Amino acid sequence: MSVQVLEPELDRLEALWSDGLGDAYRAYQRSVRHFASNVQPKLALAAALIEVGVRLQGLGGPAAAPTTLLIGDLCLARGSRLLADHAPVAVQVAFARAIESVSTAAASQQPAPATRQLLQQSLAAGR
Amino acid sequence: MSGTRIDFASTRPTEFVDITDRIRDEVRASGLRHGRVHLQSLHTTVGLAVNENEPLLHRDFEGLLERLAPAGAGYEHDDFSRRFDIALDEPVNGHAHCRQLLLTASATLLVEEGELVLGRWQSVFAVELDGPRPRQLAVQLDGDFHARRLLLPDSLVELELARQLMVDPEPVAAPMRRLVEAGGKRLRPKLVQLTSAIGPRHDPLRAAELAAAVELLHNATLVHDDYVDESTHRRGRPTVAAAEGPERAIAVGDYYFAKATRLIAEMGNPGVTSAVAEALEAICASQIDDVALRGAYPGDRESYLRVIRGKTASLFAAACASGAMLSEASPDVVGALRRYGDLLGTAFQMADDVVDFSPSSGKPVGLDIRQRVLSLPLIYAAEDRVLGEEVRKLLSGALGDAQVGRVTELVTASGALPRVRDEATRLVDAAVRELEAVELDGLRPVLAGIARSAVDRAS
Repeated sequence: MSVQVLEPELDRLEALWSDGLGDAYRAYQRSVRHFASNVQPKLALAAALIEVGVRLQGLGGPAAAPTTLLIGDLCLARGSRLLADHAPVAVQVAFARAIESVSTAAASQQPAPATRQLLQQSLAAGR
Repeated sequence: MSGTRIDFASTRPTEFVDITDRIRDEVRASGLRHGRVHLQSLHTTVGLAVNENEPLLHRDFEGLLERLAPAGAGYEHDDFSRRFDIALDEPVNGHAHCRQLLLTASATLLVEEGELVLGRWQSVFAVELDGPRPRQLAVQLDGDFHARRLLLPDSLVELELARQLMVDPEPVAAPMRRLVEAGGKRLRPKLVQLTSAIGPRHDPLRAAELAAAVELLHNATLVHDDYVDESTHRRGRPTVAAAEGPERAIAVGDYYFAKATRLIAEMGNPGVTSAVAEALEAICASQIDDVALRGAYPGDRESYLRVIRGKTASLFAAACASGAMLSEASPDVVGALRRYGDLLGTAFQMADDVVDFSPSSGKPVGLDIRQRVLSLPLIYAAEDRVLGEEVRKLLSGALGDAQVGRVTELVTASGALPRVRDEATRLVDAAVRELEAVELDGLRPVLAGIARSAVDRAS
């Protein structure tokens, strides 16, 4: 899967690719193999954006600086839009529930579940 | 019985403001078939009149009022040395109060077959006697209502919002409940509800679910915005970030961002899901631009328009389009409503900028200036040939009370406020024109009324 295919989806977020987004993307590639080949890169990127977005926001830890929060927000929003455009409803719902559980844990000051594991399980909802 | 408010801004000390069309819009929006419209001025220097809309006649009326209660004739009300609890900005306006006695503070108009009963030459006026100022009239309608009104109660959205907030974990639900219960204009959910009544598959309950989800999404963005802007209050209450810390604010915003997108996804309409997701992405991207532009404050008109179209207009457009798509309206109707929402949202934000300079808005004047938020009146004032240099110099330094006060004076003196108001009005006209080419099942006057009232407001 070529990164060039994803370039339009990295607008304003290019710098993140070498700051964890690329690694996260590669980690999710294995979790999207059961989807049609044309949507696999989009869904792996969606998951990677959401994972990085949550990390940037500092969810569950000290709050991010305002400008970093906004980048995190854009990651979440773009990931969500990619899911809306390319994922089955069950996967969209599973992703949303994953973010709900992570943010509830953060608001309750409880240990947050592992984001990557939650998102990989969410992708499995498309099987 | 149905009630509402009509907001308008007068532009002269004495002015006959024709509100006939505004009342007609309210009658159509309410679905009143046979009954009465009760109007009441909420000010002691604004009266009501039913008469002819002929400019020379208005000058005659103004002359009559001046002869009967001349300005500067020595009114005891204007002797501040003999009065207590006088506001700092108390105007010298004994003449205006006396003139109001010659008019009426309330009026009742009849409605038959859904139309105001007025004679050929009759128009309804709010008569400004101490302007220019933002003003408000109370309106109540009673009688027999058309069935459509029963299909679109605002309470359905409020019930749905309450229902959703009831089932959420308390650490996230409690702060959001406080924000939602504090009010807000609910324009976005209203647009969803109205546009969802246009297509052949109108389902009020599904429309209320979508409307509530859109409102939750909007509120989620506000929770994060307030942290970014370091705002201490919203809708008269402490922000989540100020009251419970930024960590909680981030978690609450994320939770409702996720929940709203889930509720929308569960509706199973891909067009609706994509429309709202695109809007959310545009909002977030524009927020980044907005903050970046604060380094070159106050910026320029082009950058301003790009930011507000993403930050504000995108969700208005998505609300209109998604409601229509939910009811399976035709693509040309969806397209027209999306353009209407985009223009309305842009005009709404411009009007919001003007309200920031209004002492009667209920918010501290100049809040946008203090927070260095993009503002079109400020951009125009900074471009003013005479006053612009002082505006730019003030904005480039620290902004204490004195500086904010001076900038506010300069913005007012530059004529930027009516210029922005006119621009917003032109956008509303364009928004209304978008509705003319498509069949909207009788909802065109309602949507036109919403567009006009979004711009003619004091708060």
